[in-house]
Amino acid sequence: MNPLELTLGVMTAVGGFVDISELVFASKAGSTFGYALIWAFAFSTVGIIVFSEMAGRVAAIAKQPVFNLIRHRVGLKLGLVTLMASLLSTLITCAAEVGGMGLILHYLTGAPYLLMATLSTLAVGGSMWVLPFKWIERIYGLLGLLMLVFAASLIAIHPPWDRVAGGFVPQVPHGLSTKELLNFAYFGVAILSAVMFPYEAYFYSSGGIEEEWGPKDLLTNRVTSIVGMALGSLLAIAILANSAQLFGPANVGPELPGSTAMQAAIPLGGTGLLLALLGMLFAVAGAAVETCMANAYSIAQFFGWEWGRHKKPWDAPRFTLAWIILLLLSLALVLTGIDALTLVEYAVLFSILVLPLTYLPLMLLAGDRKYMGDYANGLLAKSLGWLYFGIVTAAAVAAIPLYVITSGGQG
Amino acid sequence: MWRWRLAIVLLITGCSKGPEADLPSISGARSLAAEWAMVNEQAASGHLTAIYVSTMRTSARQHLQTTLSALTQPKSPYGNEIRALVAEPADALPQKLRAHADRLKQIEDSLESA
Repeated sequence: MNPLELTLGVMTAVGGFVDISELVFASKAGSTFGYALIWAFAFSTVGIIVFSEMAGRVAAIAKQPVFNLIRHRVGLKLGLVTLMASLLSTLITCAAEVGGMGLILHYLTGAPYLLMATLSTLAVGGSMWVLPFKWIERIYGLLGLLMLVFAASLIAIHPPWDRVAGGFVPQVPHGLSTKELLNFAYFGVAILSAVMFPYEAYFYSSGGIEEEWGPKDLLTNRVTSIVGMALGSLLAIAILANSAQLFGPANVGPELPGSTAMQAAIPLGGTGLLLALLGMLFAVAGAAVETCMANAYSIAQFFGWEWGRHKKPWDAPRFTLAWIILLLLSLALVLTGIDALTLVEYAVLFSILVLPLTYLPLMLLAGDRKYMGDYANGLLAKSLGWLYFGIVTAAAVAAIPLYVITSGGQG
Repeated sequence: MWRWRLAIVLLITGCSKGPEADLPSISGARSLAAEWAMVNEQAASGHLTAIYVSTMRTSARQHLQTTLSALTQPKSPYGNEIRALVAEPADALPQKLRAHADRLKQIEDSLESA
């Protein structure tokens, strides 16, 4: 194992962890419920670690990406339903990221939002065309590390660390009305969905195959999943804690995605603001790439097409055409004028519905000794896998009623 | 049975009217007022870029106008408060904007407890 490769992998995972949904929900959760939802981020992060590690392990040992397995495990009909649901949820997520890029560039340059969304989509598409997989992943992930400014801001504002630490303990705040309790539950479900987006497993496992992982890469897989995602999650938690400290007492919701950048500006001034906006831009752009490619991977793997960014674009023409069309469709959704935050809410809502269908076949295959031999799920992976599968299923059942009753967390 | 079905449909389609239906809008307007105040306060301290300040102020006003037009009771006390907020100049004093946010918060709290 090359230590430099491993460090880069971990840093990429850290920088690539946060996307527009986490930015929005971490900020809102902190301002509305103080530190009380930190545990939801921590808990969901363990879930995505469990399933990412499985996805990477299956890619390394069985040499099969997640969507291949879904079709084999659940059959063609249910597989097709899963594919359609996953395509829809990931397309909306991709559109939310495209809208997010447009908004952040609008705050940075003052140029019109839709123009910025269009130009940033072209730039992202260009980078996907030109760069090989490893560099696409690394460039966006490493530039996303600018988000560390939110951790620096948190240290600079001297929050009550005992209360921040207390937020890691699962809790429901005392004295909430029924309405507030439902709102709290909605935020819990939304955070679970935002952290465990299904596209992450598709992208991660396909990436493992792109990079030709084998048994020797299992340690890299484990360290990247555990350390990279845990540290990445701390960035989202820093945003939540900044919001609890700075926004909640000031009555700020926030309603404008650009407000999150003020968390860095308040203690660190103009430099903090610029670093925050740039970090948000690259994190969201990285997520746009991941969602778009995850969708193209899913389609290509399901129908057995040639796929992969290790090939030249014209060597996998249907795969290439798929990601180009999906990126343009996402842009088209944004150009209809749908508010980016509405897209974020729909992305989170639809994704939670797809989560059980994504993770069940993955878990079954990762535990199957026929495919995985000695690398099949052990007791810990099996127990955690079933625990999280039960939780995402319950969350999927509760998501739509909670969304309707709380008006999408508005009260 | 049909009454339950109708109630569920109304709930899902958001067809209810009155202050209860406007609560999410009031809450959104309260936050927008507070965000605008924070932008103006930080701008006065020189912590923000001019472009950021200008785009945030414009976005806040646009969102408030959308909120105002979505109210089911635009001539209510909260409707008047949001209208007064929209009429504020872009560089209004943070204290003034915060006073709007506080009044909207009071209305929000009283409607929630009713």
